[in-house]
Amino acid sequence: MPSKQEPVIKSRPSRPTVAIGLEGSANKLGVGIIRHFPAPVSGGGPRPPAEILANIRHTYITPAGQGFLPRDTANHHRSFVVKLVKEALKQSGLAPADIDCVCFTQGPGMGAPLQSVAIAARTISMMWNKPLVGVNHCVGHIEMGREITGATNPVVLYVSGGNTQVIAYSHHRYRIFGETLDIAVGNCLDRFARTLQIPNDPSPGYNIELLAKKGKHYVELPYTVKGMDVSMSGILAYIDGIANDILNGNPHYAQDQDGSNEQITKEDLCFSLQETIFAMLVEITERAMAHVGSQQVLIVGGVGSNERLQQMMAIMARDRGGQVYATDERFCIDNGIMIAHAGLLAYQTGFTTALKDSVCTQRFRTDEVYIAWRDD
Amino acid sequence: MEAGSLSAMSLGHVTLPSAISEALALTLISQGAEAQIYLSLEHPFIPSAHLAGTISETNTKPGAGYILKYRPPKRYRHSALDAQLTKHRTLSEARILYKLFLAGISVPQFIAVDPRQGLIWMENIDGQSLKEWIWTQETEIEERYDDAGEEGPAQKRVDIIRPLLLAVGNEIAKLHFLETVHGDLTTSNILLRDCSRVRADGVTVSNKEPVIIDFGLAQQSTLPEDKAVDLYVLERAFISTHPIHSEEYVKWVLQGYVAGFGRGKKSAVFRVNEIMRKLDAVRLRGRKRSMVG
Repeated sequence: MPSKQEPVIKSRPSRPTVAIGLEGSANKLGVGIIRHFPAPVSGGGPRPPAEILANIRHTYITPAGQGFLPRDTANHHRSFVVKLVKEALKQSGLAPADIDCVCFTQGPGMGAPLQSVAIAARTISMMWNKPLVGVNHCVGHIEMGREITGATNPVVLYVSGGNTQVIAYSHHRYRIFGETLDIAVGNCLDRFARTLQIPNDPSPGYNIELLAKKGKHYVELPYTVKGMDVSMSGILAYIDGIANDILNGNPHYAQDQDGSNEQITKEDLCFSLQETIFAMLVEITERAMAHVGSQQVLIVGGVGSNERLQQMMAIMARDRGGQVYATDERFCIDNGIMIAHAGLLAYQTGFTTALKDSVCTQRFRTDEVYIAWRDD
Repeated sequence: MEAGSLSAMSLGHVTLPSAISEALALTLISQGAEAQIYLSLEHPFIPSAHLAGTISETNTKPGAGYILKYRPPKRYRHSALDAQLTKHRTLSEARILYKLFLAGISVPQFIAVDPRQGLIWMENIDGQSLKEWIWTQETEIEERYDDAGEEGPAQKRVDIIRPLLLAVGNEIAKLHFLETVHGDLTTSNILLRDCSRVRADGVTVSNKEPVIIDFGLAQQSTLPEDKAVDLYVLERAFISTHPIHSEEYVKWVLQGYVAGFGRGKKSAVFRVNEIMRKLDAVRLRGRKRSMVG
């Protein structure tokens, strides 16, 4: 089955290559610099692990109860990008001349933030006279996950504020097996955090996770798995209804076996929401694993840093004799290094993005990218 | 009794409720993401039973046995959620299976259900899947009639494969006419039951009857859209597992579908045309949502 990780490329560089990557599809602005080493000439094996020279991120955080709007987010990115690029160069100890290509998130994501970062990337690329490489945000997550964890051919659960997909690799494409039919799971969590006025610092999802750990009662919520797909908007509407009741002074009561009728708290709601939506995600991932015949699961995307999700996935995988791979928040949450990494992989197959093709797109499906750098 | 183990993917910790596994000899024959399928040669509660009426009198095979579909608890889920899902899904599947059988659609005969334990008993269909049958037929046709040029195999497919696919379309139409969608129509979920009979002249005519199985994802729906999606899922299944002649096969299935929908009654014609229109739209769509940040 999957043999080596690196294909035999016609014009493979024989020296290490370096890329800088800029990410800004949502409220996180990330700049990363990565170095790839060529595979050993003799004996032919996989290339050595990549070296992370810099990975800096600055997040636009709004006050509790508010989400981030495109215009303000773009403004934030514009304000910080120069500083982050300079800082990244300083951390890496490199000069612009040492960089081989400038990678940026071409999509998917929010329009204005994507554009502002793309403009920065184009400017740098012209200033430094280096080729531009447009990267698909989802592919960035997947490739970084594979690199860090060493998972060879996993079923990938990509879950974040903007995306919820179950992906499996086949014939040079990351194919989408299942996805959300309406909103992403992270979006569902973020919006619920707003309803409960939970702070957005460091991220609403993280704070929901903390509250959920203190939850006790399981509140029955709609469970919407439709074949290989999931739907979140109904659950959100339902739980928002309960939350608003409670906030307006009409308490709900738990219906536990022991007959106790304690009031439902926001901790209970956070707990119940997580249990329900994560169970749905684990279910569609399990379906994909059974369908494809895979034993590995890789979780990427911001919601992937949730420990309860990782735990549930691990139980499911272990029961099937498989294994879960997950990364920490440096790579789970949107970052520049994954863009640099995926961009460099593409660059090494001869791929670059001409200026006229560097337009951002909010709708960039994961399976639109031809994965030339894998030969399995 | 022990369950057979199926490759590395068998779930080590999953066991049937002991009351069942101790009383009957069961063999694990299949394991999906959600359920396990066991085969029992004995009827669960009628020791001397063999199903009457499903096999012709001139060809009574000793019972093909009985299927036990088991939805084991999923340990990653909260126990209250897990119990709810198991009960609901088991009951929903059993109800649909029973309703369809009563309506005369070619599905396994429903026998018993225990929703809380996640168990469904039904008749076993002794026969290969449509997928395997097509593969076998295609290979045989290619080998035997290849020298007759392009027309040879093509005509043989019309003679042999087309009638069966018309029958398949017919069964699906009956299903949809009853406002039920299968949810997972693939060529692995259609089995072919042998119903040979002896003709008046003493010649045994072997006939295959399509039986639709696995209603785990089935739902009631009146929407033409849902039926179109059901057909589209089958179309995609043909394209991915029988790529060479899939266009032909799908055409025949749909012919059988349109002909069999409501048995040609005028009111039904309107409905089936609506479904076909929706199918065109679903094909164009192909994708569900586009990515928005």
